[in-house]
Amino acid sequence: MLTLLEQLDKGVLWQSPGGIHPPQLKTLSNQTTIARLPLARRFVVPVPLVGEQAVLTVTVGEQVLKGQMLTEGTGFTYLPVHAPTSGKVVAIEQHATNHPSSLPTLSCVIEADGQDTWCELIPHSLEQLSKNQILDKIRNAGIAGMGGAAFPSHVKLNPASEIDLVIINGVECEPYISSDDRLMRDYSDEILKGIGVIHHLLNPQRIIIAIEDNKPEAAKAMQDAVQRCTLPTGVVRVTVIPTKYPSGGEKQLIQIITGKEVPSGHIPAQLGIVVHNVGTAYAIQDAIYQGKPLIERVVTLTGEQIGQPGNYWLPIGTTINDALQAVSFSPSAAQKVIVGGPMMGYALAGLDVPILKGTNCLLAPSHHEMAPDVDEKACIRCGECAVACPALLLPQQLFWHAKAEEYDKAAGFNLKDCIECGCCSYVCPSDIPLVEYYRVAKSALKIEAEEKRQAEQAKIRFEARLQRLEDEKNAREAKAKEAAAKRQASMKSTDKDAVAAAMARIAAKKAQAASSTVSPEVPQVAADPKKAAVNAAIERAKAKKAAQANTVRSENELDTGTAEVNVDDKQAKIAAAVARAKAKKAAQANAESTTQKANPTETTAAETVLTTDAIDDKQARVAAAVAKAKAKKRAQANQTNDTTAKTEPSTEAIDDKQARVAAAVAKAKAKKRAQANQTDDTTAKTEPSTEAIDDKQARVAAAVAKAKAKKRAQANQTDDTTAKTEPSAEVVDDQSTGDIAPNAALANATESADLSPEQMKKAKVAAAVAKAKAKQLAKRAEQEEQ
Amino acid sequence: MAFKIASSPHVSTSLHTNTVMKRVALCLIPGIAVQSYYFGFGTLVQILLAVSVAYLAEAAVMKLRNKNIKATLSDNSALVTACLLAVAIPPLAPWWLIVIGTLFAIVIVKQLYGGLGNNVFNPAMAAYVLLLISFPVQMTSWVAPQTIAMNHASLLTSVQTIFEINQSFAAEYFRLGIDGIAMATPLDTLKTDLSMGLTTTESLAKPIFSGMAAEGWFWVNLAYLIGGLVMLKLKVIRWHISVAIIASLFLCASFSFLVSPDTFVSPLMHLFSGGTMLAAFFIATDPVTAATSPKGRLIFGAIIGVLIYLIRTFGGYPDAVAFAVLLANMCAPFIDYYVRPRSYGHRTGN
Repeated sequence: MLTLLEQLDKGVLWQSPGGIHPPQLKTLSNQTTIARLPLARRFVVPVPLVGEQAVLTVTVGEQVLKGQMLTEGTGFTYLPVHAPTSGKVVAIEQHATNHPSSLPTLSCVIEADGQDTWCELIPHSLEQLSKNQILDKIRNAGIAGMGGAAFPSHVKLNPASEIDLVIINGVECEPYISSDDRLMRDYSDEILKGIGVIHHLLNPQRIIIAIEDNKPEAAKAMQDAVQRCTLPTGVVRVTVIPTKYPSGGEKQLIQIITGKEVPSGHIPAQLGIVVHNVGTAYAIQDAIYQGKPLIERVVTLTGEQIGQPGNYWLPIGTTINDALQAVSFSPSAAQKVIVGGPMMGYALAGLDVPILKGTNCLLAPSHHEMAPDVDEKACIRCGECAVACPALLLPQQLFWHAKAEEYDKAAGFNLKDCIECGCCSYVCPSDIPLVEYYRVAKSALKIEAEEKRQAEQAKIRFEARLQRLEDEKNAREAKAKEAAAKRQASMKSTDKDAVAAAMARIAAKKAQAASSTVSPEVPQVAADPKKAAVNAAIERAKAKKAAQANTVRSENELDTGTAEVNVDDKQAKIAAAVARAKAKKAAQANAESTTQKANPTETTAAETVLTTDAIDDKQARVAAAVAKAKAKKRAQANQTNDTTAKTEPSTEAIDDKQARVAAAVAKAKAKKRAQANQTDDTTAKTEPSTEAIDDKQARVAAAVAKAKAKKRAQANQTDDTTAKTEPSAEVVDDQSTGDIAPNAALANATESADLSPEQMKKAKVAAAVAKAKAKQLAKRAEQEEQ
Repeated sequence: MAFKIASSPHVSTSLHTNTVMKRVALCLIPGIAVQSYYFGFGTLVQILLAVSVAYLAEAAVMKLRNKNIKATLSDNSALVTACLLAVAIPPLAPWWLIVIGTLFAIVIVKQLYGGLGNNVFNPAMAAYVLLLISFPVQMTSWVAPQTIAMNHASLLTSVQTIFEINQSFAAEYFRLGIDGIAMATPLDTLKTDLSMGLTTTESLAKPIFSGMAAEGWFWVNLAYLIGGLVMLKLKVIRWHISVAIIASLFLCASFSFLVSPDTFVSPLMHLFSGGTMLAAFFIATDPVTAATSPKGRLIFGAIIGVLIYLIRTFGGYPDAVAFAVLLANMCAPFIDYYVRPRSYGHRTGN
């Protein structure tokens, strides 16, 4: 069996499936050599991707020279744009571009000065440059694939894998177009020099110049040039292939020359093959040996409405209007002007759009050349489209699904492998614009995929955010714990300890003196919810008191305040804030041994508040009233200033009339005492917590009761209060479900709002115990007063 | 000025649906001519009747559907359907038979499914089966070939008989027998004979047969074959379905004939009697109701060929084309679903 190279050398050809034989009509334009048209006055050079990948190097009003770079880019695939002639940049604005949609693109409008003065050109020979320098030169010359797709050529000349075969595409299978045909006839040696550069860069085993058999002159010219060229013999070969549309398609040409198929979704380089257009080879030669950037190309101007059809060198940026005017274009009614050939070209809506690097043909057909469009008729499933399809698709099944907008099903019939060659539409007896349906379906699938991708990204982002918040929360908690531990450690050795101890001792003495009859532990269950509320409040207040009795520091005040505001569960907030404030104080105040005992107080407080919340408004109000009454009495008798200071902010929020009355009284008192107060920071601490409170009655009850309780607690010994609550802080942590608010760093108490029924039960029991104790205290206090 | 924009490609072939349909109808002419020669002018009258009814029916439906009547009628698909049904039914069948059949074919089988391109079943064959089941006597009484008939119907008599004006001829017509004007089709005769214990050779000795094939029918089939070849040449149809039908029928018949020549019909007899060639080139190749891919069409044709053989040999009806085509129509969507060509770049292991 022959190897592929031997077969290539013998010119063995393979069959490409499908295809059609439309009338060629190339003689209309290929009879004369490539000519030049008079220089146009105005050029429109699109500068796409400026702002994204590139920056403009010129400003409005600036003089530019022919070949001067207008943009400078950074990306590897970015191709710079050059001035097609010398002149002045008169505008840099959005201008309709040469595209089926005519969407405006940022463009440089250059007014020619008529001098056509070149900028400095630096010719080189291959020996002078390294491969990278050659690639850079090709890139800086702005060379894109000249066959129509305009893919940056230097990318294809710098493949990741080994290239065995380079195919130079001179097939030009579209009817009418003859720009490559004429280029090969008129500039065969230059093309061969360009092929030499490609050979130097890729070093392939073979270079095949493929030409259709309807261009015998071009094949002959290239054959002669191959004979003359300096490349090693046997490397370059001209292969003539049968005329059939779309043999010039990259995939089809590879199949014809090598018998291989480019795997779906891959590029030919995967097979070790690269395909370049003859025009590209010419441009590469110009860039290296002349130093000229790609600023002009051969364009076939043809069709029966054009007076002098033929091939012309047109500067890129020439408007199509100027180009057609120069060759006596006479538009008829309902005239079509097609960019590209009749099979794959697109019709333009307006002619003030520029010639681009990939514009190989302008076609202005008359009516009898191209029949006016007819209405689409029913598909009779004749299957001619499937016979014509070079990609071996089932076009009529694709059409069926595309029309029904079942795009996923169309995708299942390999819609993405459609090369939009138009063979199916060409043979369709029902005049169905099949390709148009596929384009719509492809776009729809693209949009769908994009939306899916975005949705997935959003999901990932959302999950990442959740994770981040979780991490932050954990970090904060850890930090807070660390800080607390540090504080405790530092407190041991400070004088404040001594002060606190001394104050505690004083308070204890006072309490002992005041309530000699009190026994701290009387287990008694409070059945009445009213009482429970009162007692809960009292209990909390006691805890606070205990804290107040000690030296208070304001380090964490703001922390507590802001943390509270964001908490959603209001009741939980109340409980948490109050409890924390208290707990902190208690913690700070107590000696190391009593610190842990203070924590359970938090829990108790939080739980009792929960209980209170469950109670009817009425009951709550009653409790509040009772509590207030007591508070008043005790306030009068109170000698500690800071107690009132605390009561003040709490009562500010009270709406209930009674509560307000009580509050007013309390405030009045509080003010007095505030004057004498020496621990201002206590107020600050409590305030933010209470601001967040919503349940007014509960607040009233709580605030007032706290005030009362504090006093009583003051009277009692601080140590008693804290000592009563035994469970360790760890228990509290275990109970928390840990999910309420991410910013509640100290939210152990807050979290108790989310307790499970079981945990609620435990909490209630704890609350009951606390209440009982509170009652006991209340009794004592009353006795005391009496 | 504003320029006209359109999606590519901007050129197309001149072969349009109406041309394709017209060519199908034109290629029927040799067959119709030979059929008329052997079985009288009845066929022509039936065609005229069927075509008129088909166009009227289609126009009425288009009016009801608020569609362009002219555009639809000019696609010539109704013409082809009407012609196919008309040549398939007995030439002297009463007028209401073809009217019912055509109405059913156009209105129900074609238009109620969404018109051209959307019908699941071949309209002509669906109508044929409807008539065969509903009016078996009228549908199985063929005119005797002119060459052996005692009394041949003239154009006038044919019209009179079809429109039931002159009942005398009709009475005679339905008197089956060798000396009558009407008789069972050769395949029917053969089937009956074989079931009565006669050998193929004995049965073939009857005057209705000439040589290896049936009198007249051989030439009719040959004419349709020629018309079919012209269609192939004009690329109106592709070869896959026709070749598959003929090949599979021939293979099945040859096999059984080689095993037992006395009890089975010869392959040649199968190919050149009844509606074999009409089916192979004109009926089964209706693209709307056939499979679309080349491979799928081979399968589709093979199914029809095998079914024709099976129904003719073991079934209750003498000819089987209509049933075979309808059954294969049902299979077409499945064939299309499972038989897909390998697209470019999807080669396994590449």
